[in-house]
Amino acid sequence: MKSPKQTTIIWHVGFWLSGLLLVAVLSSILLILIYRGGSSLSLEFLTSIPKGAILGKEGGIFPAIAGTLSLTILSSLFASLPALLVAIYIVEYGKDGLLARVVTTIVQIMIGIPSILIGLFGYALFVVFFNMGISLAAGALTLAVMIFPTLVVFMRNALQSVSDEYRLVGISLGTSRRYLIQRVILPQALPHICSSLLLAMGYAAGATAPIMVTAAVIMTRSPVTLHHPVMALPFHLYILFSQQISIDRAYGTALVLVMLLLSLNAISLYVQKHYEKKVHPHG
Amino acid sequence: MIHDIKDRFLYWLSLSCSLAAIAIMLSLYIFIARESLPIWTEVGPIKLLLHSDWQPLGKSPSFGFFTMIVSTFWASAGAMLLAAPVGLGCGIFLSEYAPRLLAAFIRGILSILTGIPSVVYGFLGASIIVPWHERITGVPSGESLFCASLVLSVMIVPYIVAGTYSAYKSISPEYREAAYVLGVSKPYVIQKVLTPLAARSLASAVTLAFARASGETMAVLMLSGNTLTMPLSWFSKGEPLSALIALEIGTAEVGSHQYQALFAAGLVLLLFVSSINLAIYFINGRRHAQ
Repeated sequence: MKSPKQTTIIWHVGFWLSGLLLVAVLSSILLILIYRGGSSLSLEFLTSIPKGAILGKEGGIFPAIAGTLSLTILSSLFASLPALLVAIYIVEYGKDGLLARVVTTIVQIMIGIPSILIGLFGYALFVVFFNMGISLAAGALTLAVMIFPTLVVFMRNALQSVSDEYRLVGISLGTSRRYLIQRVILPQALPHICSSLLLAMGYAAGATAPIMVTAAVIMTRSPVTLHHPVMALPFHLYILFSQQISIDRAYGTALVLVMLLLSLNAISLYVQKHYEKKVHPHG
Repeated sequence: MIHDIKDRFLYWLSLSCSLAAIAIMLSLYIFIARESLPIWTEVGPIKLLLHSDWQPLGKSPSFGFFTMIVSTFWASAGAMLLAAPVGLGCGIFLSEYAPRLLAAFIRGILSILTGIPSVVYGFLGASIIVPWHERITGVPSGESLFCASLVLSVMIVPYIVAGTYSAYKSISPEYREAAYVLGVSKPYVIQKVLTPLAARSLASAVTLAFARASGETMAVLMLSGNTLTMPLSWFSKGEPLSALIALEIGTAEVGSHQYQALFAAGLVLLLFVSSINLAIYFINGRRHAQ
Protein backbone atom coordinates (compact mmCIF):
# COMPACT_ATOMS: atom_id res chain seq x y z
CA MET A 1 0.00 0.00 0.00
CA LYS A 2 1.53 3.23 -1.13
CA SER A 3 1.13 6.24 1.07
CA PRO A 4 -0.85 9.13 -0.39
CA LYS A 5 2.34 11.18 -0.32
CA GLN A 6 4.10 8.71 -2.61
CA THR A 7 1.16 8.58 -4.99
CA THR A 8 1.21 12.36 -5.17
CA ILE A 9 4.88 12.31 -6.08
CA ILE A 10 4.34 9.67 -8.78
CA TRP A 11 1.57 11.74 -10.34
CA HIS A 12 3.69 14.87 -10.22
CA VAL A 13 6.60 13.13 -11.88
CA GLY A 14 4.34 11.63 -14.54
CA PHE A 15 2.78 14.96 -15.50
CA TRP A 16 6.09 16.80 -15.55
CA LEU A 17 7.72 14.08 -17.62
CA SER A 18 5.01 14.09 -20.28
CA GLY A 19 5.29 17.86 -20.56
CA LEU A 20 9.06 17.82 -20.83
CA LEU A 21 9.01 14.90 -23.28
CA LEU A 22 7.39 17.11 -25.89
CA VAL A 23 9.99 19.81 -25.40
CA ALA A 24 12.66 17.15 -25.90
CA VAL A 25 11.01 15.82 -29.05
CA LEU A 26 10.76 19.20 -30.73
CA SER A 27 14.24 20.30 -29.80
CA SER A 28 15.74 17.04 -31.05
CA ILE A 29 13.84 17.38 -34.35
CA LEU A 30 15.15 20.89 -34.87
CA LEU A 31 18.69 20.06 -33.71
CA ILE A 32 18.95 17.02 -35.99
CA LEU A 33 17.67 19.03 -38.95
CA ILE A 34 20.09 21.88 -38.32
CA TYR A 35 23.01 19.57 -37.56
CA ARG A 36 22.56 17.25 -40.54
CA GLY A 37 21.02 19.71 -42.99
CA GLY A 38 23.16 22.72 -42.17
CA SER A 39 26.23 21.26 -43.85
CA SER A 40 24.57 20.90 -47.25
CA LEU A 41 23.04 24.36 -47.06
CA SER A 42 24.81 26.82 -49.29
CA LEU A 43 24.02 29.57 -51.73
CA GLU A 44 24.62 27.13 -54.55
CA PHE A 45 22.18 24.62 -53.01
CA LEU A 46 19.48 27.29 -52.88
CA THR A 47 20.03 28.80 -56.32
CA SER A 48 20.97 26.03 -58.74
CA ILE A 49 19.05 23.24 -60.40
CA PRO A 50 19.42 19.53 -59.50
CA LYS A 51 22.44 17.95 -61.19
CA GLY A 52 24.41 14.75 -61.12
CA ALA A 53 24.26 11.34 -62.76
CA ILE A 54 21.09 10.66 -60.81
CA LEU A 55 19.37 14.02 -60.75
CA GLY A 56 19.40 15.48 -57.28
CA LYS A 57 22.63 13.90 -56.14
CA GLU A 58 24.39 17.18 -56.78
CA GLY A 59 23.34 20.71 -57.53
CA GLY A 60 20.54 22.50 -55.77
CA ILE A 61 16.86 22.78 -55.19
CA PHE A 62 16.01 26.10 -56.78
CA PRO A 63 13.17 24.79 -59.01
CA ALA A 64 11.62 23.08 -55.98
CA ILE A 65 11.68 26.33 -54.00
CA ALA A 66 10.14 28.20 -56.93
CA GLY A 67 7.51 25.50 -57.38
CA THR A 68 6.54 25.41 -53.72
CA LEU A 69 6.31 29.20 -53.55
CA SER A 70 4.10 29.38 -56.62
CA LEU A 71 1.87 26.52 -55.43
CA THR A 72 1.51 28.18 -52.05
CA ILE A 73 0.82 31.69 -53.32
CA LEU A 74 -1.61 30.55 -56.01
CA SER A 75 -3.56 28.24 -53.73
CA SER A 76 -3.96 30.92 -51.10
CA LEU A 77 -5.05 33.37 -53.81
CA PHE A 78 -7.69 30.89 -54.98
CA ALA A 79 -8.92 30.04 -51.51
CA SER A 80 -8.71 33.27 -49.52
CA LEU A 81 -11.44 35.41 -51.06
CA PRO A 82 -14.12 32.67 -51.16
CA ALA A 83 -13.17 31.71 -47.61
CA LEU A 84 -13.52 35.30 -46.45
CA LEU A 85 -16.91 35.61 -48.12
CA VAL A 86 -18.14 32.39 -46.54
CA ALA A 87 -16.92 33.62 -43.17
CA ILE A 88 -18.73 36.93 -43.74
CA TYR A 89 -21.89 35.03 -44.55
CA ILE A 90 -21.62 32.88 -41.42
CA VAL A 91 -20.84 35.72 -39.03
CA GLU A 92 -22.67 38.72 -40.48
CA TYR A 93 -25.62 37.46 -42.50
CA GLY A 94 -26.45 33.86 -41.68
CA LYS A 95 -25.96 34.04 -37.89
CA ASP A 96 -27.78 31.05 -36.42
CA GLY A 97 -29.84 30.36 -39.50
CA LEU A 98 -30.04 26.96 -41.10
CA LEU A 99 -27.69 27.66 -44.01
CA ALA A 100 -25.00 29.14 -41.75
CA ARG A 101 -25.19 26.10 -39.49
CA VAL A 102 -24.99 23.70 -42.43
CA VAL A 103 -21.97 25.52 -43.85
CA THR A 104 -20.26 25.52 -40.46
CA THR A 105 -20.85 21.80 -40.03
CA ILE A 106 -19.59 21.03 -43.51
CA VAL A 107 -16.49 23.11 -43.05
CA GLN A 108 -15.73 21.34 -39.78
CA ILE A 109 -16.10 17.94 -41.43
CA MET A 110 -13.96 19.04 -44.38
CA ILE A 111 -11.09 20.00 -42.07
CA GLY A 112 -10.86 16.38 -41.01
CA ILE A 113 -10.65 14.91 -44.51
CA PRO A 114 -7.20 13.35 -45.01
CA SER A 115 -5.06 15.26 -47.48
CA ILE A 116 -4.50 12.18 -49.67
CA LEU A 117 -8.24 12.10 -50.33
CA ILE A 118 -8.22 15.77 -51.27
CA GLY A 119 -5.45 14.75 -53.67
CA LEU A 120 -7.58 11.93 -55.05
CA PHE A 121 -10.47 14.34 -55.54
CA GLY A 122 -8.20 16.90 -57.21
CA TYR A 123 -6.86 14.20 -59.48
CA ALA A 124 -10.32 13.03 -60.53
CA LEU A 125 -11.74 16.55 -60.90
CA PHE A 126 -8.95 18.81 -62.13
CA VAL A 127 -6.44 16.47 -63.73
CA VAL A 128 -8.85 14.00 -65.35
CA PHE A 129 -12.32 15.56 -65.58
CA PHE A 130 -11.23 19.11 -66.51
CA ASN A 131 -8.31 17.65 -68.44
CA MET A 132 -5.75 19.97 -66.88
CA GLY A 133 -3.11 17.27 -66.64
CA ILE A 134 -0.45 17.18 -63.95
CA SER A 135 0.14 20.90 -63.68
CA LEU A 136 0.73 23.84 -61.41
CA ALA A 137 -2.88 24.94 -61.91
CA ALA A 138 -4.33 21.56 -60.91
CA GLY A 139 -2.05 21.36 -57.88
CA ALA A 140 -2.81 24.88 -56.73
CA LEU A 141 -6.56 24.29 -57.06
CA THR A 142 -6.28 21.03 -55.11
CA LEU A 143 -4.31 22.75 -52.37
CA ALA A 144 -6.90 25.53 -52.38
CA VAL A 145 -9.60 22.94 -51.68
CA MET A 146 -7.42 21.59 -48.87
CA ILE A 147 -6.79 24.91 -47.08
CA PHE A 148 -10.24 26.37 -47.74
CA PRO A 149 -12.06 24.93 -44.68
CA THR A 150 -9.21 25.86 -42.35
CA LEU A 151 -9.24 29.38 -43.75
CA VAL A 152 -13.00 29.69 -43.25
CA VAL A 153 -12.67 28.74 -39.58
CA PHE A 154 -9.74 31.12 -39.02
CA MET A 155 -11.52 33.99 -40.75
CA ARG A 156 -14.77 33.31 -38.95
CA ASN A 157 -12.87 33.56 -35.68
CA ALA A 158 -11.25 36.77 -36.89
CA LEU A 159 -14.63 38.34 -37.66
CA GLN A 160 -16.17 37.07 -34.45
CA SER A 161 -13.37 38.58 -32.40
CA VAL A 162 -14.45 42.06 -33.54
CA SER A 163 -16.48 43.44 -30.67
CA ASP A 164 -20.25 43.40 -31.14
CA GLU A 165 -20.39 47.00 -29.94
CA TYR A 166 -19.23 48.13 -33.35
CA ARG A 167 -22.09 46.29 -34.98
CA LEU A 168 -24.62 47.69 -32.52
CA VAL A 169 -23.35 51.25 -32.94
CA GLY A 170 -23.32 50.86 -36.69
CA ILE A 171 -26.86 49.55 -36.82
CA SER A 172 -28.14 52.23 -34.48
CA LEU A 173 -26.58 54.87 -36.74
CA GLY A 174 -28.55 53.37 -39.58
CA THR A 175 -25.60 52.28 -41.72
CA SER A 176 -26.09 49.32 -43.98
CA ARG A 177 -24.52 46.02 -43.02
CA ARG A 178 -22.29 46.06 -46.08
CA TYR A 179 -20.94 49.51 -45.18
CA LEU A 180 -20.34 48.34 -41.64
CA ILE A 181 -18.49 45.21 -42.80
CA GLN A 182 -16.44 47.12 -45.33
CA ARG A 183 -15.51 50.14 -43.26
CA VAL A 184 -15.45 48.90 -39.68
CA ILE A 185 -15.37 45.15 -39.27
CA LEU A 186 -12.91 44.17 -42.01
CA PRO A 187 -10.32 46.82 -41.08
CA GLN A 188 -10.59 45.71 -37.45
CA ALA A 189 -10.18 42.05 -38.37
CA LEU A 190 -7.58 42.60 -41.08
CA PRO A 191 -4.40 41.73 -39.13
CA HIS A 192 -6.08 38.63 -37.76
CA ILE A 193 -7.16 37.68 -41.29
CA CYS A 194 -3.63 38.22 -42.62
CA SER A 195 -2.09 36.08 -39.90
CA SER A 196 -4.55 33.26 -40.62
CA LEU A 197 -3.71 33.48 -44.29
CA LEU A 198 -0.02 33.07 -43.50
CA LEU A 199 -0.74 30.00 -41.35
CA ALA A 200 -2.79 28.45 -44.14
CA MET A 201 0.03 29.15 -46.59
CA GLY A 202 2.37 27.20 -44.32
CA TYR A 203 -0.11 24.35 -44.32
CA ALA A 204 -0.22 24.38 -48.13
CA ALA A 205 3.55 24.63 -48.51
CA GLY A 206 4.18 21.49 -46.47
CA ALA A 207 1.50 19.32 -48.03
CA THR A 208 2.85 16.44 -50.08
CA ALA A 209 0.09 13.91 -50.68
CA PRO A 210 -2.27 16.26 -52.56
CA ILE A 211 0.39 17.48 -55.00
CA MET A 212 1.99 14.08 -55.57
CA VAL A 213 -0.69 13.19 -58.10
CA THR A 214 -1.76 16.64 -59.27
CA ALA A 215 1.27 18.86 -59.71
CA ALA A 216 4.66 17.57 -58.67
CA VAL A 217 7.32 15.88 -60.77
CA ILE A 218 10.82 14.70 -60.01
CA MET A 219 12.48 17.11 -62.40
CA THR A 220 11.43 19.90 -64.69
CA ARG A 221 13.54 22.24 -66.73
CA SER A 222 10.78 24.48 -67.95
CA PRO A 223 10.11 27.70 -66.05
CA VAL A 224 7.12 27.78 -63.73
CA THR A 225 3.93 28.09 -65.78
CA LEU A 226 0.34 27.21 -65.03
CA HIS A 227 0.06 24.38 -67.53
CA HIS A 228 3.24 22.58 -66.63
CA PRO A 229 4.10 20.36 -63.70
CA VAL A 230 6.41 21.85 -61.11
CA MET A 231 8.93 20.59 -58.59
CA ALA A 232 8.07 21.10 -54.94
CA LEU A 233 10.13 20.97 -51.76
CA PRO A 234 8.13 18.32 -49.88
CA PHE A 235 7.89 16.06 -52.92
CA HIS A 236 11.58 16.55 -53.71
CA LEU A 237 12.40 15.54 -50.14
CA TYR A 238 10.27 12.41 -50.52
CA ILE A 239 11.96 11.47 -53.80
CA LEU A 240 15.49 12.14 -52.53
CA PHE A 241 14.84 9.82 -49.63
CA SER A 242 12.67 7.10 -51.12
CA GLN A 243 14.85 6.65 -54.21
CA GLN A 244 17.92 6.76 -51.97
CA ILE A 245 19.41 9.55 -54.10
CA SER A 246 21.11 11.55 -51.39
CA ILE A 247 20.40 11.60 -47.67
CA ASP A 248 22.48 14.75 -47.13
CA ARG A 249 20.53 16.63 -49.79
CA ALA A 250 17.33 15.32 -48.24
CA TYR A 251 18.34 16.77 -44.87
CA GLY A 252 19.16 20.05 -46.58
CA THR A 253 15.78 20.11 -48.34
CA ALA A 254 13.95 19.27 -45.11
CA LEU A 255 15.77 22.08 -43.32
CA VAL A 256 14.86 24.60 -46.03
CA LEU A 257 11.23 23.49 -45.94
CA VAL A 258 10.98 23.66 -42.16
CA MET A 259 12.67 27.05 -42.07
CA LEU A 260 10.23 28.34 -44.66
CA LEU A 261 7.29 27.12 -42.58
CA LEU A 262 8.68 28.39 -39.29
CA SER A 263 9.25 31.82 -40.76
CA LEU A 264 5.68 31.89 -42.07
CA ASN A 265 4.50 30.98 -38.55
CA ALA A 266 6.73 33.61 -37.00
CA ILE A 267 5.50 36.36 -39.33
CA SER A 268 1.93 35.30 -38.64
CA LEU A 269 2.52 35.52 -34.89
CA TYR A 270 4.22 38.90 -35.27
CA VAL A 271 1.35 40.35 -37.29
CA GLN A 272 -1.12 39.25 -34.67
CA LYS A 273 0.87 40.46 -31.65
CA HIS A 274 1.71 43.75 -33.28
CA TYR A 275 -1.94 44.34 -33.93
CA GLU A 276 -3.01 43.43 -30.41
CA LYS A 277 -0.60 45.99 -29.03
CA LYS A 278 -2.06 48.67 -31.27
CA VAL A 279 -5.65 47.98 -30.35
CA HIS A 280 -5.10 47.43 -26.65
CA PRO A 281 -2.09 49.64 -25.88
CA HIS A 282 -2.64 49.40 -22.12
CA GLY A 283 -2.91 45.68 -21.83
CA MET B 1 -29.25 53.75 -54.98
CA ILE B 2 -25.71 52.67 -55.79
CA HIS B 3 -25.27 51.78 -52.12
CA ASP B 4 -28.33 49.66 -52.23
CA ILE B 5 -26.91 47.65 -55.12
CA LYS B 6 -23.59 47.22 -53.35
CA ASP B 7 -25.36 46.04 -50.21
CA ARG B 8 -27.25 43.39 -52.11
CA PHE B 9 -24.19 42.44 -54.09
CA LEU B 10 -22.16 41.58 -50.98
CA TYR B 11 -25.04 39.62 -49.52
CA TRP B 12 -25.60 37.55 -52.64
CA LEU B 13 -21.90 37.07 -53.21
CA SER B 14 -21.31 35.69 -49.72
CA LEU B 15 -24.45 33.59 -49.96
CA SER B 16 -23.41 32.07 -53.27
CA CYS B 17 -19.91 31.38 -51.97
CA SER B 18 -21.42 29.49 -49.06
CA LEU B 19 -23.57 27.47 -51.41
CA ALA B 20 -20.52 26.80 -53.58
CA ALA B 21 -18.63 25.58 -50.52
CA ILE B 22 -21.39 23.08 -49.83
CA ALA B 23 -21.34 22.03 -53.49
CA ILE B 24 -17.58 21.45 -53.47
CA MET B 25 -17.83 19.37 -50.34
CA LEU B 26 -20.61 17.26 -51.79
CA SER B 27 -18.79 16.92 -55.09
CA LEU B 28 -15.78 15.56 -53.23
CA TYR B 29 -17.89 12.67 -51.97
CA ILE B 30 -19.67 12.29 -55.26
CA PHE B 31 -16.50 12.23 -57.34
CA ILE B 32 -14.74 9.68 -55.20
CA ALA B 33 -17.87 7.52 -55.13
CA ARG B 34 -18.53 7.94 -58.85
CA GLU B 35 -15.01 7.01 -59.94
CA SER B 36 -15.15 3.85 -57.85
CA LEU B 37 -18.73 2.86 -58.64
CA PRO B 38 -18.09 0.24 -61.38
CA ILE B 39 -15.78 -1.83 -59.21
CA TRP B 40 -18.29 -2.00 -56.37
CA THR B 41 -20.86 -3.57 -58.66
CA GLU B 42 -18.41 -5.69 -60.63
CA VAL B 43 -16.33 -7.20 -57.87
CA GLY B 44 -18.77 -6.63 -55.05
CA PRO B 45 -18.27 -4.99 -51.67
CA ILE B 46 -17.60 -8.24 -49.81
CA LYS B 47 -14.68 -9.21 -52.02
CA LEU B 48 -13.29 -5.69 -51.96
CA LEU B 49 -13.49 -5.23 -48.24
CA LEU B 50 -12.87 -8.69 -46.86
CA HIS B 51 -10.48 -10.34 -49.29
CA SER B 52 -6.80 -9.91 -48.71
CA ASP B 53 -5.58 -10.41 -52.23
CA TRP B 54 -4.41 -7.28 -54.03
CA GLN B 55 -3.11 -8.00 -57.52
CA PRO B 56 -4.49 -5.24 -59.71
CA LEU B 57 -2.30 -6.05 -62.72
CA GLY B 58 -2.29 -9.85 -62.75
CA LYS B 59 -3.88 -12.00 -65.44
CA SER B 60 -6.89 -12.57 -63.25
CA PRO B 61 -6.65 -9.41 -61.18
CA SER B 62 -8.01 -9.34 -57.66
CA PHE B 63 -8.87 -6.28 -55.65
CA GLY B 64 -9.24 -7.07 -51.99
CA PHE B 65 -7.92 -4.44 -49.61
CA PHE B 66 -8.54 -6.14 -46.32
CA THR B 67 -4.79 -6.23 -45.57
CA MET B 68 -4.63 -2.46 -46.06
CA ILE B 69 -7.57 -1.94 -43.75
CA VAL B 70 -5.86 -4.05 -41.11
CA SER B 71 -2.60 -2.12 -41.62
CA THR B 72 -4.39 1.19 -41.26
CA PHE B 73 -5.93 -0.09 -38.07
CA TRP B 74 -2.62 -1.30 -36.58
CA ALA B 75 -0.78 1.91 -37.43
CA SER B 76 -3.42 4.34 -36.22
CA ALA B 77 -4.66 2.41 -33.19
CA GLY B 78 -1.05 1.91 -32.18
CA ALA B 79 -0.37 5.61 -32.58
CA MET B 80 -3.39 6.40 -30.44
CA LEU B 81 -2.21 3.96 -27.79
CA LEU B 82 1.21 5.62 -27.64
CA ALA B 83 -0.01 9.20 -27.90
CA ALA B 84 -2.99 9.11 -25.53
CA PRO B 85 -1.11 8.69 -22.21
CA VAL B 86 1.47 11.34 -23.06
CA GLY B 87 -1.11 13.66 -24.55
CA LEU B 88 -3.52 13.40 -21.65
CA GLY B 89 -0.68 13.73 -19.15
CA CYS B 90 0.77 16.74 -20.87
CA GLY B 91 -2.64 18.39 -21.22
CA ILE B 92 -3.33 17.96 -17.52
CA PHE B 93 0.18 19.17 -16.74
CA LEU B 94 -0.34 22.33 -18.78
CA SER B 95 -3.71 23.09 -17.32
CA GLU B 96 -3.16 22.14 -13.67
CA TYR B 97 0.55 22.09 -12.86
CA ALA B 98 2.78 24.05 -15.19
CA PRO B 99 3.85 27.55 -14.21
CA ARG B 100 2.29 30.06 -16.57
CA LEU B 101 5.44 30.81 -18.51
CA LEU B 102 6.34 27.15 -18.98
CA ALA B 103 2.79 26.40 -20.09
CA ALA B 104 2.91 29.17 -22.68
CA PHE B 105 6.29 27.89 -23.84
CA ILE B 106 5.10 24.30 -24.24
CA ARG B 107 1.96 25.40 -26.03
CA GLY B 108 4.15 27.35 -28.44
CA ILE B 109 6.21 24.22 -29.02
CA LEU B 110 3.06 22.22 -29.70
CA SER B 111 1.89 24.67 -32.31
CA ILE B 112 5.29 24.46 -34.01
CA LEU B 113 5.05 20.65 -33.94
CA THR B 114 1.69 20.76 -35.72
CA GLY B 115 3.24 23.03 -38.34
CA ILE B 116 5.96 20.55 -39.34
CA PRO B 117 4.75 18.74 -42.45
CA SER B 118 4.20 15.01 -42.38
CA VAL B 119 6.81 14.34 -45.06
CA VAL B 120 9.47 15.74 -42.73
CA TYR B 121 8.25 13.54 -39.89
CA GLY B 122 8.28 10.56 -42.23
CA PHE B 123 11.77 11.37 -43.44
CA LEU B 124 13.19 11.82 -39.94
CA GLY B 125 11.46 8.69 -38.72
CA ALA B 126 12.74 6.65 -41.63
CA SER B 127 16.30 7.87 -41.34
CA ILE B 128 16.56 7.81 -37.53
CA ILE B 129 14.01 5.51 -35.92
CA VAL B 130 14.17 2.76 -38.56
CA PRO B 131 17.96 2.15 -38.31
CA TRP B 132 17.63 2.28 -34.55
CA HIS B 133 14.86 -0.31 -34.70
CA GLU B 134 17.08 -2.48 -36.92
CA ARG B 135 19.94 -2.30 -34.45
CA ILE B 136 17.80 -3.26 -31.48
CA THR B 137 15.83 -6.12 -33.00
CA GLY B 138 18.42 -7.29 -35.53
CA VAL B 139 15.97 -7.43 -38.44
CA PRO B 140 17.46 -6.49 -41.83
CA SER B 141 14.96 -3.77 -42.66
CA GLY B 142 13.32 -2.00 -39.77
CA GLU B 143 10.30 -0.46 -41.45
CA SER B 144 7.21 -1.63 -39.63
CA LEU B 145 3.76 -0.55 -38.58
CA PHE B 146 5.23 0.04 -35.14
CA CYS B 147 7.65 2.64 -36.52
CA ALA B 148 4.76 4.25 -38.38
CA SER B 149 2.74 4.35 -35.14
CA LEU B 150 5.64 5.86 -33.26
CA VAL B 151 6.01 8.74 -35.70
CA LEU B 152 2.24 9.15 -36.08
CA SER B 153 1.98 9.44 -32.30
CA VAL B 154 4.36 12.42 -32.32
CA MET B 155 2.20 13.97 -35.02
CA ILE B 156 -1.12 13.54 -33.22
CA VAL B 157 0.02 14.23 -29.68
CA PRO B 158 -0.34 18.03 -30.04
CA TYR B 159 -4.02 17.61 -30.92
CA ILE B 160 -4.68 15.39 -27.90
CA VAL B 161 -2.86 17.88 -25.66
CA ALA B 162 -4.87 20.79 -27.07
CA GLY B 163 -8.15 18.93 -26.56
CA THR B 164 -7.21 17.87 -23.03
CA TYR B 165 -6.01 21.32 -22.10
CA SER B 166 -9.19 23.03 -23.21
CA ALA B 167 -11.33 20.33 -21.58
CA TYR B 168 -9.76 21.00 -18.18
CA LYS B 169 -9.58 24.76 -18.65
CA SER B 170 -13.27 24.92 -19.44
CA ILE B 171 -14.23 23.36 -16.09
CA SER B 172 -15.62 26.05 -13.84
CA PRO B 173 -13.02 27.10 -11.22
CA GLU B 174 -15.64 26.65 -8.47
CA TYR B 175 -15.04 22.89 -8.53
CA ARG B 176 -11.35 23.36 -7.85
CA GLU B 177 -11.91 25.97 -5.16
CA ALA B 178 -14.48 23.85 -3.35
CA ALA B 179 -12.22 20.81 -3.45
CA TYR B 180 -9.11 22.60 -2.27
CA VAL B 181 -11.02 24.26 0.56
CA LEU B 182 -11.79 20.76 1.77
CA GLY B 183 -8.05 20.15 1.94
CA VAL B 184 -7.88 17.47 -0.72
CA SER B 185 -4.61 16.86 -2.55
CA LYS B 186 -4.19 17.99 -6.13
CA PRO B 187 -3.87 14.53 -7.75
CA TYR B 188 -7.04 13.51 -5.93
CA VAL B 189 -8.92 16.53 -7.25
CA ILE B 190 -7.72 15.81 -10.77
CA GLN B 191 -8.63 12.13 -10.54
CA LYS B 192 -11.94 12.28 -8.75
CA VAL B 193 -13.36 15.70 -9.52
CA LEU B 194 -11.98 17.14 -12.74
CA THR B 195 -11.42 14.05 -14.89
CA PRO B 196 -15.00 12.75 -14.66
CA LEU B 197 -16.19 16.21 -15.69
CA ALA B 198 -13.79 16.29 -18.63
CA ALA B 199 -14.17 12.65 -19.61
CA ARG B 200 -16.35 13.16 -22.63
CA SER B 201 -14.14 15.85 -24.17
CA LEU B 202 -11.09 13.69 -23.52
CA ALA B 203 -12.67 10.75 -25.29
CA SER B 204 -13.54 12.88 -28.29
CA ALA B 205 -10.03 14.38 -28.44
CA VAL B 206 -8.50 10.90 -28.53
CA THR B 207 -11.02 9.65 -31.11
CA LEU B 208 -10.39 12.62 -33.38
CA ALA B 209 -6.67 11.94 -33.13
CA PHE B 210 -7.36 8.34 -34.16
CA ALA B 211 -9.26 9.54 -37.24
CA ARG B 212 -6.44 11.92 -38.07
CA ALA B 213 -3.83 9.18 -37.76
CA SER B 214 -5.77 6.80 -39.97
CA GLY B 215 -5.78 9.24 -42.88
CA GLU B 216 -2.18 10.35 -42.54
CA THR B 217 -0.19 9.48 -45.63
CA MET B 218 3.41 10.54 -46.04
CA ALA B 219 4.70 9.30 -42.71
CA VAL B 220 3.14 5.85 -43.01
CA LEU B 221 4.18 5.65 -46.65
CA MET B 222 7.82 6.11 -45.68
CA LEU B 223 7.75 3.99 -42.53
CA SER B 224 5.41 1.07 -42.75
CA GLY B 225 7.41 -0.99 -45.26
CA ASN B 226 4.72 -1.26 -47.93
CA THR B 227 4.34 -4.99 -48.31
CA LEU B 228 1.10 -6.59 -49.33
CA THR B 229 1.20 -9.42 -46.80
CA MET B 230 -1.27 -9.52 -43.96
CA PRO B 231 0.22 -7.78 -40.90
CA LEU B 232 -0.10 -10.28 -38.06
CA SER B 233 1.36 -8.06 -35.38
CA TRP B 234 2.19 -4.48 -34.62
CA PHE B 235 5.79 -5.15 -35.59
CA SER B 236 5.01 -6.52 -39.06
CA LYS B 237 5.32 -4.53 -42.22
CA GLY B 238 2.14 -3.41 -43.88
CA GLU B 239 0.65 -0.99 -46.34
CA PRO B 240 -2.14 1.22 -45.00
CA LEU B 241 -4.92 2.43 -47.30
CA SER B 242 -3.48 5.91 -47.62
CA ALA B 243 -0.07 4.56 -48.63
CA LEU B 244 -1.67 2.24 -51.17
CA ILE B 245 -3.48 5.15 -52.81
CA ALA B 246 -0.40 7.38 -52.82
CA LEU B 247 1.80 4.66 -54.29
CA GLU B 248 -0.44 3.43 -57.07
CA ILE B 249 -2.73 6.23 -58.22
CA GLY B 250 0.00 7.93 -60.24
CA THR B 251 0.59 4.86 -62.39
CA ALA B 252 -2.96 3.48 -62.57
CA GLU B 253 -4.52 4.01 -65.96
CA VAL B 254 -7.51 6.32 -65.74
CA GLY B 255 -10.74 4.33 -65.76
CA SER B 256 -9.02 0.98 -65.31
CA HIS B 257 -10.06 -1.47 -62.64
CA GLN B 258 -7.02 -0.56 -60.59
CA TYR B 259 -8.00 3.13 -60.78
CA GLN B 260 -11.53 2.32 -59.68
CA ALA B 261 -10.33 0.08 -56.88
CA LEU B 262 -8.03 2.82 -55.58
CA PHE B 263 -10.96 5.22 -55.48
CA ALA B 264 -12.94 2.52 -53.68
CA ALA B 265 -10.15 2.37 -51.09
CA GLY B 266 -10.34 6.15 -50.87
CA LEU B 267 -14.09 6.00 -50.38
CA VAL B 268 -13.70 3.53 -47.50
CA LEU B 269 -11.19 5.82 -45.81
CA LEU B 270 -13.31 8.89 -46.51
CA LEU B 271 -16.47 7.41 -45.05
CA PHE B 272 -14.60 6.09 -42.02
CA VAL B 273 -12.93 9.40 -41.17
CA SER B 274 -15.98 11.52 -41.98
CA SER B 275 -18.35 9.46 -39.87
CA ILE B 276 -16.04 9.74 -36.86
CA ASN B 277 -15.72 13.48 -37.38
CA LEU B 278 -19.43 13.96 -37.87
CA ALA B 279 -20.31 11.92 -34.80
CA ILE B 280 -17.85 13.81 -32.60
CA TYR B 281 -19.02 17.12 -34.02
CA PHE B 282 -22.61 16.44 -33.11
CA ILE B 283 -21.81 15.02 -29.69
CA ASN B 284 -19.74 18.09 -28.86
CA GLY B 285 -22.21 20.43 -30.49
CA ARG B 286 -25.05 19.10 -28.39
CA ARG B 287 -23.05 19.60 -25.25
CA HIS B 288 -22.23 23.19 -26.14
CA ALA B 289 -25.86 23.86 -26.85
CA GLN B 290 -26.96 22.66 -23.44
